[in-house]
Amino acid sequence: MSGSPVALAIVAAVVLGTIVFALLAVRRVKMDPAQYIVGGRSFGTIFLWVLLAGEIYTTFTFLGIAGLSYSGGAPAFYVLAYGACGYAISYFVTPAIWRVGKECNLLTGPDFFETRYNSRALGTATAILYFLMVVPYVALQLSGLQILLRIAGYGAYDATASVCIAFLVLALFVFTAGLRGTAWASVVKDVLVLGAVAFAGIAIPMRFFGSPSAMFDRVAATHPQMLVLPTGTVFHGTIWFVSTVLLSGIGWSMGPHSFSATYSARSGDSLRRNAMLLPLYQAFVALMIFAGLSAAMIVPGLKGTAVDQSFLLVVQHYYPSWILGLVVAAGALAALIPASALLLAGAAVITKNVAGDVFGIATGDAARTLMTRVLVLVVALLALGFWLTGQRTVVEMLLLYYNGITQFAPGVFATFLWRRRATALGVGAGIAAGLAVAIPLAALNITPWGINAGLVGLGANVATLVILSLVTRPPREGEHRSASADPALISPSASRAE
Amino acid sequence: MARQMRPMLRLLLAAIPIGALSVAVPLVNRIEPRFLGLPFLLWWIIGWVCLTPALLWTIGRLEKRW
Repeated sequence: MSGSPVALAIVAAVVLGTIVFALLAVRRVKMDPAQYIVGGRSFGTIFLWVLLAGEIYTTFTFLGIAGLSYSGGAPAFYVLAYGACGYAISYFVTPAIWRVGKECNLLTGPDFFETRYNSRALGTATAILYFLMVVPYVALQLSGLQILLRIAGYGAYDATASVCIAFLVLALFVFTAGLRGTAWASVVKDVLVLGAVAFAGIAIPMRFFGSPSAMFDRVAATHPQMLVLPTGTVFHGTIWFVSTVLLSGIGWSMGPHSFSATYSARSGDSLRRNAMLLPLYQAFVALMIFAGLSAAMIVPGLKGTAVDQSFLLVVQHYYPSWILGLVVAAGALAALIPASALLLAGAAVITKNVAGDVFGIATGDAARTLMTRVLVLVVALLALGFWLTGQRTVVEMLLLYYNGITQFAPGVFATFLWRRRATALGVGAGIAAGLAVAIPLAALNITPWGINAGLVGLGANVATLVILSLVTRPPREGEHRSASADPALISPSASRAE
Repeated sequence: MARQMRPMLRLLLAAIPIGALSVAVPLVNRIEPRFLGLPFLLWWIIGWVCLTPALLWTIGRLEKRW
């Protein structure tokens, strides 16, 4: 029990140190809306890599993947698979989005819909949907943070108050530093998280089994069913796996904060280089699967939401408190850094696409920056309220978010693949149909024929988009405000103009 | 001719890892042969994740981007 102050002090020092470091890094940056929300569209390959890598590892990596490996084994492999699929798609999609953003000076994901479909209503509707999805996703990070802090406190305290304080400090940090601050904070986070993941996936199996491969030998001997997927239509079976990989891969770059990161690039090629390199970074997630399987052999018997704590309990029981402190600190940054990007994107869509575009409020540069900053604090308080009133397990909430986020993909892809025919009404109704199918199915845990509910919703989405677009009038040539920006996913020959 | 083939070739190269990591998975859902303890299924997935950068690099080369 005496370890608790040491571990918690390390967590607090790391989180505060990271925030101070990032604040110092951006202290001379002058903020206008483009600088504050999308980093002035100036991030080169390496800085963009830091930001994108910083957004990959969330609390889901630390708790959800290890938890799923602990309780089910092989179904957790889907996380490895969908990231690579997501990058293979984003290699083509993000540079095209970036080009529209650059030429039309876009700040948010809804801006993209508004510009490409020449429909303010579609922009506002997508803004509201994005906002509604950001809040639970941020709340999810807070649930993760609470689990982490409870473990660092050796169960001695509830941590609710600490989560609130840490999160409000983070909101003030985002208020001050914007997206560039998040990117600098990611520098610290990326290093610490890689260290913690390597410790969890390599050092733990080595200590208890001699080596990671000996750990797998043990699993193969005692729980072979954990190393393959259940066949057929059962939950977490092969059909679930295939449909979830496709669903999550398609949704990979569709989050509101992903649009911000895409716009923040200096060039389309920095996005392509990142799409190429990031699967290697993401492959390290495999080590969290090692950690979860190790925990299943070392501390068996956890049930329900307790499985999310599996490998952290091993660290807590068998390692000195300073190691626990560093691992939890890495996990805390994995909660807070993605949350900061989400807060910023959530505030930006309301400022730009609802207050600005609908009500004509805060359309000047200074007013828009100020309003985004204030809304960062408002979104943070809303997420905190949402978190204090409701709880679900980490994986379930992530799937709910992905079921929703992926519904934006057909509208984005159609601007490149079917741009002369897809209409605003078709896209909007498609999103609505997709959500109307996917969310109730996901909430009731219904998986038709074993297929992930989100993918069923995506089918309804695409069908609605195509049918309604065919019966409504497409925008005439030249009606697109971005008529000059007409990016194709596949350029006939490589243009180096970007 | 070669020029017309290239857009399709690029999409095909990107589709390979996506297919291998999704629809092909039920076909490789096996424990054996294990290597270094890891089941075949996990090697398949890790292998294709690591091949994805190589395929995307090839696409970039075809587009003369690097």
